[in-house]
Amino acid sequence: MQLTRRQFLTLLAYSAAVAGCGGGGSSGGAGQPGTAPPGTSPVISMIPANGGPTVLWLSGAACSGCTVSLANRIAPTDPTDVGDLLINHINLAYHTTLMGAAGDMAVKNLNDLSAGPFILAVEGGIPTAFNGKACVLWSDGGTEVTALSAVRDLASRSMANLCIGTCASFGGVAAASPNPTQIQSVSQATGKSTINIPGCPAHPDWIVLTIAELLAGRTPALDSNGRPTTFFSGESLNVHERCPRRERDEAGTFGLDGRCLQELGCKGPSTQGDCPTRQWNNKTNWCVGANAICLGCTESGFPDRFSPFYRQGGG
Amino acid sequence: MPTIKIIDPVTRIEGHMSVEVTIDNGRVVDAYCTGTLFRGFETILNGRDAWDAPVITQRICGVCPVSHATASVLALESIDAKSVPDNARILRNLTLGANYIQSHILHFYFLAARDYIKLLNAAPWAPAWDVDMRIPATDPINGHLPQAIEARRRAHEMGAIFGGRMPMAHTFIPGGFTAVPSQQSIDKYLAQLDWLINFIRSVYIPDVQAIGAVYSDYFSIGGGDKNLFAFGAFDLNAGGTQKLFGRGYIENGQTGAPAALNLNDISESVTHSWYSDSTNNLHPSAGSTVPQNPKSNAYSWLKAPRYTGKPFEAGPLARMWINGDYQRGISVMDRHLARANEALKVAEAMRGWLSSLRIGNPVYSDGTVTSGSGVGLTEAARGALGHWVLASSGKISRYQVITPTCWNASPRDSQNVPGPMEKALIGVTVADANQPVEVLRVIHSYDPCLACAVHVIRPKSRARIVSVKPRY
Repeated sequence: MQLTRRQFLTLLAYSAAVAGCGGGGSSGGAGQPGTAPPGTSPVISMIPANGGPTVLWLSGAACSGCTVSLANRIAPTDPTDVGDLLINHINLAYHTTLMGAAGDMAVKNLNDLSAGPFILAVEGGIPTAFNGKACVLWSDGGTEVTALSAVRDLASRSMANLCIGTCASFGGVAAASPNPTQIQSVSQATGKSTINIPGCPAHPDWIVLTIAELLAGRTPALDSNGRPTTFFSGESLNVHERCPRRERDEAGTFGLDGRCLQELGCKGPSTQGDCPTRQWNNKTNWCVGANAICLGCTESGFPDRFSPFYRQGGG
Repeated sequence: MPTIKIIDPVTRIEGHMSVEVTIDNGRVVDAYCTGTLFRGFETILNGRDAWDAPVITQRICGVCPVSHATASVLALESIDAKSVPDNARILRNLTLGANYIQSHILHFYFLAARDYIKLLNAAPWAPAWDVDMRIPATDPINGHLPQAIEARRRAHEMGAIFGGRMPMAHTFIPGGFTAVPSQQSIDKYLAQLDWLINFIRSVYIPDVQAIGAVYSDYFSIGGGDKNLFAFGAFDLNAGGTQKLFGRGYIENGQTGAPAALNLNDISESVTHSWYSDSTNNLHPSAGSTVPQNPKSNAYSWLKAPRYTGKPFEAGPLARMWINGDYQRGISVMDRHLARANEALKVAEAMRGWLSSLRIGNPVYSDGTVTSGSGVGLTEAARGALGHWVLASSGKISRYQVITPTCWNASPRDSQNVPGPMEKALIGVTVADANQPVEVLRVIHSYDPCLACAVHVIRPKSRARIVSVKPRY
């Protein structure tokens, strides 16, 4: 017997009560288990889905970091977290790290659902060396299917192509010189236009809110790099321009709190993104907040454009 | 008529991998593990500034980037025999520990549990194989998913307090750490830690025990060679001579004190890997990565690391065993139990480390890299991790990484000896060759950092499989 969504919700409420671990609510505060005020538990937000659109998520030359980052989503507005996203908002029919199906069942499911309308999400760049064999995704009828052939096929039939992270968007770290597997971005590999949600990793809000725009029937406005302007464009979204440390004294060496990090190699002036205000991990911190330089990870050309990243030992 | 069942991809694993299993009379008689992704990080690092290494190598794995950051800074510091301030050592441990907790929780609830219990009847949990599901979907374990989602997220939030953000925390730099502890950050960290210790104690460990009670046969399935080894992790003093998890190895499941590791006895075979045979059986400090695909007799992008020429299993069970914390047995279910118990051991140790931070003391001393060779050894959540580096005037001239999954999921070596996971699969009983969940259970117990594919064949079909997947 498998549970319906409704039965699952009942079980969730029951189990949470039994475990005394009802969740800290969307505020994500550090309260003790069981002390969450009624009505704020993620359990409550898990209402039955009404059949969201199909999302097929492929991993190319990826590290799974963007998937892990997606799981860090937490917000007071829908989708409140990754459970809410999966249960109530989208039909994530293919994602090798998360899905129950394996083998033929997974491939058949993919083939069936890709015959209808779907959104393609790609994490990781697309290796083209070795005839694509540096990245084999599955076997279909005994034939190995490479990331290159899979993404070319699916991108030509999808409603929208989402690049999750800098690798899918621009090539990323695995495409760094000398690009041993001749990785291309999804756009390069397919010739299709893509919505690029860069970041190494991508921020979960950038992913979730872009998907929410698509679900609402809106196409996000994109900059010349295919990035949603909401998160990446305009002077106000230059990391340095928005950095709270911009006017501070510059740090001449590492491990000093509260200083501007430009002398050490911070790439904030060359980088677009709302990290200084959005912050990361439930607004816990961000790179510069921990005195670590901005690496420029949302930019096309990362990492080579910014390498070497540091001035060794200090300024 | 024998049927060929190619099951590809196997899911709920990080990365890309395939496993081909030969089943005879309902029993696995042979297995081949194949890593199906090659990126060439070692080649990318050549010629770069040494300080780029912790940034670049974290991108090997988004689940355990902190382990790569740790190994990388240790390797670079060892070139000039530098030690870092106590605060830096402790902050590194706290950030690494936070990532262990998120990784272990992620693995159990999102990757492994579906092998034993049906979850929600909706994507991505459904459809799924439906065989030998002994625990009803109404079990409370299923209802713990939302708390597990929250717990994993909180562990990452805890790591970001000193790591800046998770995943990919580049507060790790040669010579120390960039973040500075304050009373406020310590308090914030402690609140998250206490919440997580409660979750591990009251939910995670009992859930693993509950599955272990119902699937008690899995305490005698998937043991493999029973050779275990650990590099050790979480330095407790400046030189790292004391660690939370010690270094050593055991063979054939022996209990008692482990033997000391001699790092010179590590080598990597590429006989069955898609790399040039000119690089065969080299020590990682002299290693080279020269891809060659196609290549006859090769079937994996993973090299085959060996210690004294033998395959060894790495991971939480190996760590806990070597350290004397868990020696109940070596099997699928022991791996899960050791992993859960380890989460608690690390979390409780982190409380102590937190109180030993000294506000106002330095977190960084000169981390300039000069010339020479270095090695950085630590433990990723899923096992022993080593970085070997050669630098010249602060630039990298050689970099070699051996990940834990290279040990565990390695292909056969130059002596044709199977890797640990291949060996552990042999002998496993499979009830339904179309839904070989038993094979998945063995694979998932290692928490491999790969996406995996299982190719189930029957012996008479071998010739056809060879034509389908021309590897041998």
